[in-house]
Amino acid sequence: MRMTTYRRTAMLVLTAVAMLLTAVVRAADPATTAEACWTEAVEAYAAKHYDKAVESLEHIIALGYGSAEVYYNLGNAYFKLGQSDIGGSGRPFASGELGRAILNYRRALKLDPSLEDARYNLEIAVDHTNDTEAIPHSFIVRLWHSLRDMATSNSWAWLSLLSLVVMLATALIYLLSQHILYRKIAFFVAVTALVLFILTTLLALSQRRAANDNTKAVVVCSDTTPVHASPDSSSKIIRQPSQGVTLRIIREQTGWQEILFSDGEKGWIRKSVVERI
Amino acid sequence: MKLFIRRVLFTFILLFATIEVWAQVSFVADAPALAEIGRPFRVEFTVDKEPDSNTLKAPDFEGFEVLAGPSVSTGHSIQFINGKQSSSYNCTFTYVLLPTKAGTFSVGAASIEVEGKSYTTEPLLIEIIAEKATSDADKQTSKSPDSRISKDDILLRLKLSEQDLYKGESIRASLVLYTRVGVEQIENLEMPPFDDFWTQELSFDNTPSREEYNGRVYETYKIRELLLSPQRSGEIVIPATTMSVIIQVVMQNNRHIDPIFGGRQMVHLTRELKTAPVRINVRDFPAGAPASFNGAVGDFSLRAKFPEASIKANSADQLAITISGEGNLKFITAPRVILPESFELYDTKISDNIQVTASGTSGSITYTYPFVARSAGSFDIEPIEFCYFNPSTGEYHTLATERFHVEILDDGSAAATNVIGFTDYGGAMRQLDRDIRYIHDVAKQSRSAQLFILSPLYWLVVVLSVALFIVIYVLLRRRIRLNRNVVARRMKRADKVAVQRLRVAERYMRENNRHAFYEEMLHAMWGYIGDKFNIPVANLTKETIREQLYRRGVSAADVEQFCEIISRLDEAQYAPSTEGDMGSVYADAVDAISKIEAIVKR
Repeated sequence: MRMTTYRRTAMLVLTAVAMLLTAVVRAADPATTAEACWTEAVEAYAAKHYDKAVESLEHIIALGYGSAEVYYNLGNAYFKLGQSDIGGSGRPFASGELGRAILNYRRALKLDPSLEDARYNLEIAVDHTNDTEAIPHSFIVRLWHSLRDMATSNSWAWLSLLSLVVMLATALIYLLSQHILYRKIAFFVAVTALVLFILTTLLALSQRRAANDNTKAVVVCSDTTPVHASPDSSSKIIRQPSQGVTLRIIREQTGWQEILFSDGEKGWIRKSVVERI
Repeated sequence: MKLFIRRVLFTFILLFATIEVWAQVSFVADAPALAEIGRPFRVEFTVDKEPDSNTLKAPDFEGFEVLAGPSVSTGHSIQFINGKQSSSYNCTFTYVLLPTKAGTFSVGAASIEVEGKSYTTEPLLIEIIAEKATSDADKQTSKSPDSRISKDDILLRLKLSEQDLYKGESIRASLVLYTRVGVEQIENLEMPPFDDFWTQELSFDNTPSREEYNGRVYETYKIRELLLSPQRSGEIVIPATTMSVIIQVVMQNNRHIDPIFGGRQMVHLTRELKTAPVRINVRDFPAGAPASFNGAVGDFSLRAKFPEASIKANSADQLAITISGEGNLKFITAPRVILPESFELYDTKISDNIQVTASGTSGSITYTYPFVARSAGSFDIEPIEFCYFNPSTGEYHTLATERFHVEILDDGSAAATNVIGFTDYGGAMRQLDRDIRYIHDVAKQSRSAQLFILSPLYWLVVVLSVALFIVIYVLLRRRIRLNRNVVARRMKRADKVAVQRLRVAERYMRENNRHAFYEEMLHAMWGYIGDKFNIPVANLTKETIREQLYRRGVSAADVEQFCEIISRLDEAQYAPSTEGDMGSVYADAVDAISKIEAIVKR
């Protein structure tokens, strides 16, 4: 008799706690909110309400659910918003939408370098800027980069582990098998797996370095912004990059950042007009 | 007699004149259509065959004073051209009349008889105007020849057929010299550059005529005639044309009266003439021009010549558009033809048949569009549109051909390419435009931003897999080593086992247990090979034995002996055989095993 009472009370308490927990989770579950925002944004984009799409996607990112797809869609929404909302000024991208679009494409690519659509759209968006040609890399470097960007760091890491396991397994066969043919095959597979292991590990590390690189930034301003020779607004203006130009931040001083253009030119820019990728 | 001679002569004439064309007799009157009071003019009646004498009946020149006439002049000419003789004759009766009253007067019909037949002229209407009063008296008395020609006596005008028109319309501009004095020569004609116009010289009739201008009658000579088509809208001013003329003036020399020639003197004067600038108002096209409007102005019709309704693929064909009518044909651009994608369109050929007349350009222009249809199928050629502006109605008109359906038949090559699912659309597909790609509407599982490489999990997997490798290796290696030891021992023991079995077999032989003996012998033989060369019992065949023995360097004869013993044992085991066999088989087997043992041990 006492046992059943105990049980009942325990059950009651447990259910109450569970209900309370689910209620709390449901009320403030950021995942469901993010999901709702996502559908909202996709619908808004399809209906050409790009400002609404931008708002919803920014909200998802603020909730901490910024995936490559979210950034890609946000870039698209900014690009379309800048093209459609010509407004009073009579020209596209009047309020820095192009810079925001490029920033978000680059963020998407930083999260998932294999997102080919983002790369394509980025190329189109960059065509609208006055970004200089980067110093061309050698063929080997370009090959390495394109190989690296075929997958994310994590994919490469998993591949490297897979090749490690394959290498060890075939090494075992090589070492222990009595059969001469098995040993031969196992040897070659093991050597190939070793090469693959080294390659994929290096790719994963390289990708990791790119992903952790937070020195890259994009100019986000309404039109063009001056780049000075020194951190001083009275110094000579050496360049006028437009919105969307990508550069590298070298160091910071109060209100100013020293930047490096892709063609190797250095200069100082106001902190407020660049945003790190 | 006289009659006879006449007849002979007539026959002669007939003989020599092979072909004599007897034309219709023409009798015409000629007089200027315009004259002014006080200035005499001439009326001429001309007949082209010899008239019967004194048969001219002149009309009564009512309203005119006959100053002289009729004065008769005749002319006769005979021509031989390429052996053909032709003759012409004319006889002109001239009257000089002086108009006395203003108004329109009629010179009535004159009649004349030729070979007894009567001919009459058409009556002529002559307009007589009253001259503006000018001081002719002054002129007569003035000394200088220059002052005798007043400014009004000779002038140059640029006459336009119209001064208010649409852009692209054309007007006729004639440069006309008005003169009341004898002009000898024209020099230094300088036309202005017609910058805002498309111009075309016209051929014109340069017979002088008479015209009234500012109340005076002038002889008019056309000097130039142009067709002008303004190329911009707005007010256009045509600047002055300049020209100098040499005028011949007859002067009465008062001082030296020539006794023979009457003291008259010819004086040549040079006068610079200048036209007044002319203003033209050019209207622009009204708003609302259709998209296909290309600046064609006038009145046109459109005709299309389509190819056959079915054409073979990959063969050349063409379609032709003809625009005909009146207007600025020379400025028409070829109408746009939209062919299906698989059609290859080549350069348009243009042929025209345009006449430039005083009323404008007219004729037709034909555009030929050669094409090659690359793939089979049935296609629609969109209607071809041509839009023009009609200045007389002030409206745009759009002409369109009908939609044309064409069937492209397979030719051999097209069929061959279609088999492998390939259609040649004439080169690479064109990129028409670029835009960003569409958003992704399905979010992939949001990957954790955590980087896996060099993370604890990564290291854990690496360490675990390496550890597993080491464990497996160590364990398996020990077992393999043990295995190896077992084999080695078995191989060492192989001949011992064989010897034991042979001993057992010998006992069976002595007991005369045939079946057991042969069985034990076979066990001994097979078991020896199996243990010696580490072959599982299941794999033991004569072939494997031969192979193993050859490999170990046992001679062929010994191998064959060994196999032969096994065969003999197999046969003997189930065959009823004599006793003596057992002893020889036993001896042979012991011999073979010892031989092999000797070789393999080395």
